[in-house]
Amino acid sequence: MARMKFICDTERCIECNGCVTACKNENEVPWGVNRRRVVTVNDGVIGQEKSVSVACMHCSDAPCMAVCPVDCFYRTDEGVVLHDKDICIGCGYCSFACPFGAPQFLSKGAFGVRSKMDKCTFCSGGPEANGSVAEFEKYGRNRLAEGKLPLCAEMCSTKALIGGDSEVISSIYSKRVAVRESNGKYAGSNIFGWSTAYGPSGSPAPTPTPADKIPGAKS
Amino acid sequence: MKLNFKILGVCLVAGVLLAACSEPPEIAAKVAKRPDVAPYMGADNGFMTKGWTPGNQESWMEAINKRNQNQSEYSRVK
Repeated sequence: MARMKFICDTERCIECNGCVTACKNENEVPWGVNRRRVVTVNDGVIGQEKSVSVACMHCSDAPCMAVCPVDCFYRTDEGVVLHDKDICIGCGYCSFACPFGAPQFLSKGAFGVRSKMDKCTFCSGGPEANGSVAEFEKYGRNRLAEGKLPLCAEMCSTKALIGGDSEVISSIYSKRVAVRESNGKYAGSNIFGWSTAYGPSGSPAPTPTPADKIPGAKS
Repeated sequence: MKLNFKILGVCLVAGVLLAACSEPPEIAAKVAKRPDVAPYMGADNGFMTKGWTPGNQESWMEAINKRNQNQSEYSRVK
């Protein structure tokens, strides 16, 4: 079974924000919510400026799942961490727990009232029927069910952001690193966020949430 | 007798207050949950890619992995 992950190649990301735009457009994400964003460090320092595109990493031992007081999260067979917006109460605990700042909340009205949590779904929707209008309105597109991959990764112009089965994307990235090394360039073999999200190499694969334990599942 | 009325009153007030904590049936029904359907079952929305059979996990995996290779310029540009 595939284990879906993202890799952002900091040697290639040019901070074009194409991934951010693609995500917002594809999923019709409202203003004020960015499921994906590009972070740049050492901005303007020649030779040291690096950018990375960050969203939910669909962690193996997801802290958001651990802290959610209403247990609205579940993990699919593909390792994608999803949540049920019918159960989410918008408390924001997941936002504090997430090391990547993935959970997003839309400010609604006065007094800092928050919406239910919104985050990257790896373009695989939510517990509603695949490709349904209800799913789109709550979670955005379900591209995986259409035989596609997340749009942010598929349209990345420099192929800095790659997403898909971890074995496939790891092999793509390894080849890149080898080519850079052979050309005498900085290899950039450390992948941003992977040790935080998936633990040290050789860590066991995450267990998908059993069907009857999915928050939205019929008992 | 007077004490009984007092207890009854307290119970009534508590009942009314706690009613706010319950879940109305229409909301409970709404949340009465749907199982998440695996992506290899496909989507019924006209945006499906061709080359795989919905419901067949292996063909879906194959299609996804093939599509994954489009993210590698080394396999795209020969």
